[in-house]
Amino acid sequence: MSTNRTNAASWLRGTTIRKGTTTPATRSHTPQTQTSSSIVFSGGVKDGSGRTSEYFSMDDQCPVCKSDRYLNPKLRLLVSSCYHKMCESCIDRLYTLGPAPCPVCGKTLKKMTFIPQTFEDLVVEKEVAIRRKLAKEFNKRREDFPDLRSYDDYLQEVEDITFNLINEIDIPETQARIAAYRKENAAFIELNQQREEAYVQALKEQEEAERRERQLRAEEIRRAEEEERDAREGERRALIDNLENSDADAARLVAQARAEALKRAAARTAAAHQAVFAQQQETMRLRAAQSAVVVPDQPHVPLLDGYYAYEDLCGLRSSYFDPASDAVRRDKEGIMRAGGYRVEEAWERALRYAVAGLDITPPLGEVSMPLPITSRVDADVAMASV
Amino acid sequence: MQQQPPTSPDVSSAAKSPLFQSSTQYRNWRFSVEQLKATRAALNQASVAAIRNTFESDSPGSSSDVHFLDANEEHLLVKLYIIKISQLCGHFRFPEEVEATGITYLKRFYLKNTVMDWHPKNVMLTALYLATKTTNHPISLESYTANIPRTNASDVLDLEFLVAQSLAFEFAVWHAHRALWGIWLDIQDLPQAPPHEELQRIHDTAMQHIRTSRLTDVELIYPPSQIALACLSLAHPEIAAFWARSKNADTALEAIESIKRTITRDGDTPSVDVVREIDRHLKICKNPEKVVGSKAYLAKRAREEKEAELKRKKKAENVRKATEQGNPFGEVLVGQANLDDDD
Repeated sequence: MSTNRTNAASWLRGTTIRKGTTTPATRSHTPQTQTSSSIVFSGGVKDGSGRTSEYFSMDDQCPVCKSDRYLNPKLRLLVSSCYHKMCESCIDRLYTLGPAPCPVCGKTLKKMTFIPQTFEDLVVEKEVAIRRKLAKEFNKRREDFPDLRSYDDYLQEVEDITFNLINEIDIPETQARIAAYRKENAAFIELNQQREEAYVQALKEQEEAERRERQLRAEEIRRAEEEERDAREGERRALIDNLENSDADAARLVAQARAEALKRAAARTAAAHQAVFAQQQETMRLRAAQSAVVVPDQPHVPLLDGYYAYEDLCGLRSSYFDPASDAVRRDKEGIMRAGGYRVEEAWERALRYAVAGLDITPPLGEVSMPLPITSRVDADVAMASV
Repeated sequence: MQQQPPTSPDVSSAAKSPLFQSSTQYRNWRFSVEQLKATRAALNQASVAAIRNTFESDSPGSSSDVHFLDANEEHLLVKLYIIKISQLCGHFRFPEEVEATGITYLKRFYLKNTVMDWHPKNVMLTALYLATKTTNHPISLESYTANIPRTNASDVLDLEFLVAQSLAFEFAVWHAHRALWGIWLDIQDLPQAPPHEELQRIHDTAMQHIRTSRLTDVELIYPPSQIALACLSLAHPEIAAFWARSKNADTALEAIESIKRTITRDGDTPSVDVVREIDRHLKICKNPEKVVGSKAYLAKRAREEKEAELKRKKKAENVRKATEQGNPFGEVLVGQANLDDDD
């Protein structure tokens, strides 16, 4: 191959090839960077913080050019508006020159409509996208309906439309339904959107207020500490001055100053505690006021049943001579017993058994025959018919 | 539900039902001596008639010289296998609870089935294995069968459902040995409590009597507390009487006399020669329908298969009819539209 032709070809491709040297200016000199795209693909399903987490797997393979992550570690698959996957280089190759058909289904696609993939299953991806889109307009709430029945009907209609869109059934008719709804409820939609925004705004403001309050408290604490430090410093200096100027006994002076310092410190801590407590009370009160629903605190009623467990007949002592349970009782680490096992409970059960049915007289005669003799007439036939 | 506080049992105990009287053991597995005898006799008669019938339908006249087991012989055979359970438990070092439960299961099973249908050597294995599970001492089937010669997993598992079904799935058993433990602990509260060495000796002797009592029918007749008291009385009559009087249990003191008599009379091991003779008879008279591969067995299988086929056909027909009439799940419920107002 002559150098000339190579140069001509590379000129056609819009790239320059310089053998032996690589400069950052050339975009496609490394095999890994297969995209010359300047488009930052965005969109996809955003999570709460507004980020899109992209789905990524070691088994990724571009269905169009069949290159996979082994060949190209930087492979990035994007999803078309018809929900088919393609790698970035294929998108570049096919759609740089304008709209072109999808190599899988033939739908005309544009480069800008490709979005990153969030879910492993593209059906889920599609469903989530459609639901998000619909939720913007179908945003009525229970309060907007006179009765439950009409609300249910509305939900049913939304679900029908969603199902049709996901499974591509009667698309034109469904679109017409959406358009009709939009036209009918334009004011409602607008209102509900405003309400939603107001709610989000309120949440944000509340968060902001809490943040400010936290900051304020931290500031308060810092200032208190500073004051305390200053006060301590002042005391120390006063003591030294006192020692310098007075003729009294030094040890006594020091002790006196210490006692005073201690007293003041205690007072300071108490005051600080009180302040913090008051603030907490205030916050609690505010929170309680914010949550409108007050759940009444029902007193707990323990389970009662209709059985007599011989409580009056068996009194449990705190300890017994019982060689059978010696090893378990001596085992302080609980290696020999399961969690929650108490030998007292085993004793109690035994004591119950000891008095259970002591006063029963044995049955006499053949009066009642609780065992039906027919029950043996082939238990295995009964088994087969179960 | 009663709203009385649980701290006043004396007031409410009359209205409440005592725990033992609410147990399945009391309600379904408690008989009089005569009832037991009649049940066993009737069961034996019915099964002999059924098996004779099977012999006859196989080849007429073949049952005339067969010696069928009677109820006593059946009982003796079961008793031998109760001893086998004890030996097996000693071998596996199973706790008392498992042993007692396994034995109870075996006894209860043969109140509803006959040894001529199901040989106790198999039922014993299943009953004991079931007992390990129901008393929370599970052991793997492999290690269970590996330690018993000439046994494989299917010997144990094949009968498991049958045994469970015969027990009516009532697996909880109130045992006398636990009641003995309780009485023995409570004796230490009495002013006449003997010193510790003496106490230990009494307990061990009474425990021996409890083990003997498992060979008898007492657990099917008396509550466990009375059996335990009787065993204690066999070991040390004065202490047992003191304790019973401290609980005002004069009924129990009367009952234990007959328990003591039964234990001393029936608590002996059956002689091996007699049982071997019974087992030899059993080989001839066992139900041919239960012998895998025999003509009667195959005939029975064919009959069951036919019945099952009929049942399947009937079910398919019902489903088809329902589908033809419209909704296979039935008609829409009317008048329920306003029930779901729970938004």
